[in-house]
Amino acid sequence: MIEYVARRLVQGVFVLFLVSLLTFFLINLAPGGPSSLIDFQSTAAEREARMRQYGLDRPVHERYLTWLAGAVRGDLGRSINQGLPVSRLLAQRLPITLTLGGTALVLAALFGVVLGVTAALQRDRWPDHVIGSVATLGMSTPSFWLGILAIIVFAVNFGWLPAAGNASIGRAFDLGDRLRHLVLPAGVLAFSLMPNVIRTTRAAVLETRAADFVRTARAKGLVERVVLVKHTMRNALVPVVAMLGLIATVLFSGSVVIESVFGWAGIGRLAIEAANGRDYPVILGVTLLAGTIVVTVNLVVDLAYAVIDPRIRHD
Amino acid sequence: MRIRHLAARLVLAVTLAVAGLGTALAQDADPNAVLNLATNADPTLNPWTPGAVIESNLINTILFDQLTRYSPDDLSPIPALATSWTPEEGGLAWVFELRQGVQWSDGDPFDAADVAFTFNDVVLNPDLGAQSASQFNTIERVDVIDDHTVRFVLKRPFSALPYYLASFAGILPEHALGAAENPLTVAEFNKGNPVTTGPFKVAEFVPGAFVRLEPNPLYWGGAPKLAGMIFRIIPDANTQVAQALAGQLDVVTRLSPNVIDSIERSGRLEVLRQSQNLFFFVAPNHDDARFEDVRVKQALLMAIDRQAMIDAILSGFGRVASGPVAPMLGALFSEDVTQYPFDPEAAGALLDEAGWTMGADGVRAKDGERLAFDMPTGQFGDLVPASLLVQQYWADIGVDADVRVMEWNAYIQEVVLARAYEVTLAWWSMPPTADVAPYFSCSAAQSGNNIPNYCDPELDALMDAGRAALTVEDQVAAYAAMQAFTADELPYLYLWWPDILTAKSVTLQGFPEITAATAFQHAADWYVAR
Repeated sequence: MIEYVARRLVQGVFVLFLVSLLTFFLINLAPGGPSSLIDFQSTAAEREARMRQYGLDRPVHERYLTWLAGAVRGDLGRSINQGLPVSRLLAQRLPITLTLGGTALVLAALFGVVLGVTAALQRDRWPDHVIGSVATLGMSTPSFWLGILAIIVFAVNFGWLPAAGNASIGRAFDLGDRLRHLVLPAGVLAFSLMPNVIRTTRAAVLETRAADFVRTARAKGLVERVVLVKHTMRNALVPVVAMLGLIATVLFSGSVVIESVFGWAGIGRLAIEAANGRDYPVILGVTLLAGTIVVTVNLVVDLAYAVIDPRIRHD
Repeated sequence: MRIRHLAARLVLAVTLAVAGLGTALAQDADPNAVLNLATNADPTLNPWTPGAVIESNLINTILFDQLTRYSPDDLSPIPALATSWTPEEGGLAWVFELRQGVQWSDGDPFDAADVAFTFNDVVLNPDLGAQSASQFNTIERVDVIDDHTVRFVLKRPFSALPYYLASFAGILPEHALGAAENPLTVAEFNKGNPVTTGPFKVAEFVPGAFVRLEPNPLYWGGAPKLAGMIFRIIPDANTQVAQALAGQLDVVTRLSPNVIDSIERSGRLEVLRQSQNLFFFVAPNHDDARFEDVRVKQALLMAIDRQAMIDAILSGFGRVASGPVAPMLGALFSEDVTQYPFDPEAAGALLDEAGWTMGADGVRAKDGERLAFDMPTGQFGDLVPASLLVQQYWADIGVDADVRVMEWNAYIQEVVLARAYEVTLAWWSMPPTADVAPYFSCSAAQSGNNIPNYCDPELDALMDAGRAALTVEDQVAAYAAMQAFTADELPYLYLWWPDILTAKSVTLQGFPEITAATAFQHAADWYVAR
């Protein structure tokens, strides 16, 4: 088991190296440059002076090696457009994305599993149809649109919830205020992630309920609650956990949109700003962070399989 | 200089009157009001840092006083950190008297050394590439005469200097930045707590969320009438509008015309139609020999129904442009120039006359060459729909434009820097002066801001005459001749001067309406009515 984890970690580091290499050369292939270099109103002389300052007058491979040498020592460089160390920017933004993404993931998992099980148990009856429609709606509605709609309805028309931000100014330590700010963005994000959980859960529960061991459990006279919780659910959980693992990794891309709409200053918005402004060190930093999260989540999900299903072993 | 004395007395009289009025009004002002504003990204709190542009300009205007600022009445330069200015040596030098008793927000005195530092060590230092430094490239150096007098020594006459000094040209503190290796990249200053002279100072900067300003107790102009200001960082324009409608923003700048109705219906906000010296254009690349014949450019312009485009794209919030100088410049704007009303038939006739006759494929040709243009456009604002409309109008007269839509960053690289285009639609935003040399002169062709690579020594001479003219009368005459020339020869095909739309809360008063920059230069006068 320990050997397995160690092997996966070494693989993970190699994957991250490849990711950084690819990202670095791809973003440098893209036309354009950092905001201050492509500023409409600047002259060629001003731009050349800035190129030299940022070290962008050196060849790409040389710049990559410099960056890599810094990265292995924990120095991710300095943002071109913001003038701050990349590690500081990531540290500022990560807790915000984790709060939003974590809450959305918990909501999506909770409601997704409950609704998925309900849909399976009520198969082809009206609750199943209603839940199916909700899932289709969540899947097919773009979250930026849903976000703006939610702002208009709940913040503008009813005035129940704040329209944006993650806290009221001057009330940074007020938990109730933070939760109120979390409702809309986490709700919208969860709504767009939930359909996958509903569908996977429903399919898994239906499949398991048709299995021989469930029929056996019923035949030996177990009450339906025990059949459902102990025999059906536990066995249906593996695909659901796999799906949650997938969702946890796409949360990053989902929160990019939601963060922009709701004015949350998380990693997603940092990524968009960096990409638009060709802030190379920040793009690399965000990509590396996202890569680390994906590698870690995959490892955790694989380990979780073994816990849920003793037949799965990592030797 | 008798006129100057008279003007000074008049200014004094008006100031006293306004001050009296201010006291009367101040009783109705809410002393606890905190204003909420929006900006689209984390600002950089240094007006000269490269890349500190749209997200930083307005907040820096409040924080960093300049030598001059614009009059809310007619945009002429009026005193700020400088109290008076006089040209010398036939316009080759300008002497600025500085305000006495001004303190930086950390208590240090402001003096001539700060002005000399800002220009000599920052703006004019070619290694730093300071933002918009090129606007000041006629300055040779700034000499300190005494603690409160500086002398700008110029390479060539530059009559618009006091105007340019009011255009995002904040003065930096030498005592805080002088020791830095690069005064433009000091993180604690730019992203934390800068030392400033303006009516408000930074109280709190939460990255990605907001910048909170509080009144600067050391401000030279007396206490501002607001308890504070909060600039919320909201990248999405629709979200800004939604928040304003929800009552969480008091000022929203650069509104899209299509949200005006909902804002006006709200009753909480009113929309100001401001101006800016800004024109949209189609630039013909003059490296292309087909533009040597001015009739081709005239025909291309006459084929476009500009009023219809303004109605469609700007919901009517704009005016057909006849040249680069916007009507907001008052006397310096000249309407007495060649106009090109929409007339596709006349446009076709002009092209026939120039030898471009209709081909079998519906596209005109001359000596086997087709009148077809590569027209790259960037995904920004309304550039794509506007380019597509121009393409349609030109198709009607047998001109083929191949509109290529590109990502904005890539567009600037290819079109603005590399000039790899034949025609393209964009805009210029300029300081409020008729001095448009950075966008039209031969020295700015190929590598500067003269995107169309237009070069005519005659036009250069006209613009130099404007820069050398020291009285307003001489400037009016010089720039009228320049505008007549630019309308005849069409270095750019002028499209429109858009209205700059700003929404503000109806209770916010003392907010100059003329331009956004002017409004923010007078933030000390803003107050919220009770």
